[in-house]
Amino acid sequence: MNGQSSHQQQNDGRHDDDAALTDFLASLMDYTPTIPDELVEHYLAKSGFQCPDVRLTRLVAVATQKFIADVATDALHQCKARQSSIIKDKRDKQQKDKRLILTMEDLSKALGEYGVNVKHQEYYADSPSAGLDPASRDD
Amino acid sequence: MSDGGKAEGKSDEENYSVIRSGANHFGREISRTAVAQVCESIGFEGFNESALDSLADIAIRYVCDLGKTSKLYANVAGRAECNVFDVIQGLEDLCMPQGFSGASEIYTDCLMSSGAIREIKDYVEKADEVPFAQPVPQFPVIRERKMIPSFLQIGETPASKHIPAWLPAFPDLHTYVRTPVWNERVSDPRTDKIELARQHRKAERSLLSLQQRLLCNGSSVAATSAEPDVDGHKLEVNKMENPFLSRPSLAGEVDVSSVTLPAKLSSDAHKEKHVSLLETFAPAIEAMKDGLDSGSDGEKILPEKRTSVFLEFKGKKVFGEPLDLRIRKKDSGRTAAWFRPEVEKDDKRRRVEFILRQSMENQQELP
Repeated sequence: MNGQSSHQQQNDGRHDDDAALTDFLASLMDYTPTIPDELVEHYLAKSGFQCPDVRLTRLVAVATQKFIADVATDALHQCKARQSSIIKDKRDKQQKDKRLILTMEDLSKALGEYGVNVKHQEYYADSPSAGLDPASRDD
Repeated sequence: MSDGGKAEGKSDEENYSVIRSGANHFGREISRTAVAQVCESIGFEGFNESALDSLADIAIRYVCDLGKTSKLYANVAGRAECNVFDVIQGLEDLCMPQGFSGASEIYTDCLMSSGAIREIKDYVEKADEVPFAQPVPQFPVIRERKMIPSFLQIGETPASKHIPAWLPAFPDLHTYVRTPVWNERVSDPRTDKIELARQHRKAERSLLSLQQRLLCNGSSVAATSAEPDVDGHKLEVNKMENPFLSRPSLAGEVDVSSVTLPAKLSSDAHKEKHVSLLETFAPAIEAMKDGLDSGSDGEKILPEKRTSVFLEFKGKKVFGEPLDLRIRKKDSGRTAAWFRPEVEKDDKRRRVEFILRQSMENQQELP
């Protein structure tokens, strides 16, 4: 009896689950991810994934976007932590240094937590002031 | 952004007919823009190029890996097309390294409670929607290949019955019809050989005449003077053997003016450069003469003493070698090296001699 009820409950749960999943997938149709569908479709097709359902493409796009956002958030935290430690040392630092720049240093730290080992590539000659110039960046 | 500008509008569709490597580049640029937008929405104010490129690359790899894993799960289940469950399974696989919430309940059937999908749902609800900055065309665009029109399209009937009409039409007839080619030249090996030899001889004769002219010109300018302290008799003996005194073999040719043996060039003759020319060709003429009337008088007069020749150019001693007439006399047909250190001159002399002898042989051999 008891087992039956639990089985019943599980069944209900599955139904709810399926419904929730369908709802979620349907809601993805209204959501426009930043990563364009075309890009995702191209690379999915390249990797052998075939599915005519647009919702799945959206799901992949959203998942990728979430991944990138997570990494970027971690990198942002790294950046803020670094800047606060610097500012503790030198209070009268220029306002410029407070700008949040995505640097390879922070990114590689953040990516390390996700199992991606990235080092700063030697062929990039990033000057420490890269991205600091608001005129060149914001344009 | 730059790539966004490229992606604008569908009017210039030809621009997107990119080759396959171009598609990759295009995708990378779009990914860069998208990643930059995501970072901007999170709160970044600027980027390092290297970091942005890396992140864009990682985004592409994430998509590819997710696609591969999903495909793997679909294939394991015996399907070719993926469905949601494969994607979710793939997402969970990709989430492995950092762990995810609800990891202990992973084996429940409740898919919605799977950590990965719940996180994504949270993200979708939480994060604000930032659509991509530019409209993106479908890519890669594969260019319509221009086919060769078939027989049917042209409206021709194929040349033979066994060729179906839907096959591409033949090119114009003149491009592939075989036309025989005749070689009208008849070649006789004997006449060819004679002709070749004739041309050879002609070339050599002209070379010889050139040499003799040069010799003539050179001797007229050559200013050599006898050593004053050599006594007259010795000079006479040497004069007999002097190649410059001998007449050229062909009587009709230009006369070679007499030149005294340059026992030692006086210092005032240093400037003369024609001497070298003269000396270059003189042995050849000599050899020719020797070759022609060989055995006329083998050993005539031998010099009792070797006189040494010193040629000085601009004060620097270039070569100085005793003039060994005896050696030269012994092998009369052949010219011995007069100025041994002058290897270059020897070479020239040998060449001239070779040509002369060949021409003479050819004269005897051919009618």
